[in-house]
Amino acid sequence: MSEEQPLLKLEGVTKNFGAIQALRGIDMHISRGEVVALLGDNGAGKSTLVKIISGGLQPSSGKMSFEGQERHFASPSEAKAAGIETVYQDLSLCTNADVVANFFMGREITRRVLGVPILQEREMEEVVAKAMADAGTRIPSLRTNVEHLSGGQRQAIELNRFVHWGGKLVLLDEPFAALGVEQTRRGLEMIRRVADRGIGVVVITHIMAQAFQVADRIVVIRQGTVAGDLKTSETNPDQVIDLITGATLSRAGKDRGGSN
Amino acid sequence: MKMSDGTRRTVEFLLDNLVWLMLIVVLAVFSVTIPGYFQFGIFANILEQSTFVGVMAIGLAIVIIAGHLDLSVESTAALSAMVTGLLFAKSGIGMGLTMSPEWLMLPASLLLAILVGAVIGVINGFFVVRLGMTAFIVTLATFIWARGLVVAISGGRSAQSLAPSIRVIGIERILGVPLLAWISVACFIIFAVLMAKTPFGRYVTLVGGNREATFRAGINSDRILWLSFILAGALAGVAGWLLAIRTSGATANLGTGMLFNAFAAVVIGGVSLKGGIGKLPGVYAGVLLLYSIHTAINLMGLPAHFTQVILGGLVLAAVLLDTLKLRLREKLL
Repeated sequence: MSEEQPLLKLEGVTKNFGAIQALRGIDMHISRGEVVALLGDNGAGKSTLVKIISGGLQPSSGKMSFEGQERHFASPSEAKAAGIETVYQDLSLCTNADVVANFFMGREITRRVLGVPILQEREMEEVVAKAMADAGTRIPSLRTNVEHLSGGQRQAIELNRFVHWGGKLVLLDEPFAALGVEQTRRGLEMIRRVADRGIGVVVITHIMAQAFQVADRIVVIRQGTVAGDLKTSETNPDQVIDLITGATLSRAGKDRGGSN
Repeated sequence: MKMSDGTRRTVEFLLDNLVWLMLIVVLAVFSVTIPGYFQFGIFANILEQSTFVGVMAIGLAIVIIAGHLDLSVESTAALSAMVTGLLFAKSGIGMGLTMSPEWLMLPASLLLAILVGAVIGVINGFFVVRLGMTAFIVTLATFIWARGLVVAISGGRSAQSLAPSIRVIGIERILGVPLLAWISVACFIIFAVLMAKTPFGRYVTLVGGNREATFRAGINSDRILWLSFILAGALAGVAGWLLAIRTSGATANLGTGMLFNAFAAVVIGGVSLKGGIGKLPGVYAGVLLLYSIHTAINLMGLPAHFTQVILGGLVLAAVLLDTLKLRLREKLL
């Protein structure tokens, strides 16, 4: 790997919720154009970590650098302004609004008429139609409210949204939970395409096969710390499962990886 | 059930605009069955009567679409009316303030009324948005103390004979229709455009639907809620100002009962109390429907008390209709 500084670097990041220590000191980094799979058991701290990177939660201690500069994101909008996009596990859609309104949420195309910003609905609809067509997602009408769409269609909207807006770093929290086989395949392809544009991607997943299919590197979180940080090409599912469940320590894991 | 795109769109259009359909049917039925109903003067009168509750209902609807509630609009209107009466009326407790040139009193009194309303909106916003208290309780408290303030500053007495340069608004007619009616129509057009065509209106709907999602999308949802409460207060202030003009002064109990009319209109107009759903043109149709029925009851010579019974039934019917609409939509679309 080249010597350039990583896109995102975390050093000793911790998070306490009262007496509960959700993160005990996370050290990890993500480079441009790299796909990192974040694995770990339920409650290991993956979602907490994602929320800290995306500005939804503040770390209790530790350092976070983005593009070589130390940053503290006080809100998701600050992280977003810096170029960090997030697709959350529980969907971030307003079901009472249509597909176009959701796709453009917070970034509407407007034109000033007498100084008043007016929404450019037709222009926005064209952009959404193109993005959906590019991703092979079929939705009967972009003007139907999201509440009338299936879980898979909803997740597809969120995925297309991040592909379209891109940014510099994308965080995906269980992005394929509600998708079918074919849609998942397209989703994984989408992740690859996004990374090829030089965007860093972090995917949280439970499904080992997906991690091995798409990720360059696998980071295992266990009990609030990094239990293993391995190149996908130098490890195997059994070793990763051991790390997740704590059957081996991370150093031992590396040794076994070498002997395979 | 399968449906062609065309039929689907037609059904959807009819469901979305059911209030207007109801209004047309009700007006047609009254025109045929009640002697003297089908007259230009009657219709102009319905428009004029709708003004006060109408302007108030706009603000109420915006707050409800944003996912909250404002029970204080009636008392806010009363306070604005009383401030207007107290300063610019000549007899009773009115202080008969004058300005030169005289026309200046019109914008000055309007600005003052809006300011009074906006301040109450800020107070409501502070407790609901900043401190995270329940809008129901906060605005119920405001409903009570603001009316108390009206009684206190007036000593229970009234102000009469508003300055003629302000009263113009309540007397002038354009094309035979009272200026007051035009004002409410203008308010509805302005705010309907604001809600349907600008990012602010879009955000009000989105925040009412899923506040967490808007937060994640980087929308300042607190700011949207603050603005909703301030708008509701300011519009209630305008409604109170118009009411003071119409009655040429203010009494301590001015506007009592308007809250329930405004609520009824908002619900009949298709705004869901769950938040995130509703359009302002529908609310206007709701207000017009309400006053069409009021007028019919008056013309038939029924005791005015029956209005309230019918109103209650109408609100119940509107909510029932909303539920049916939802089921129908699920079945058909």
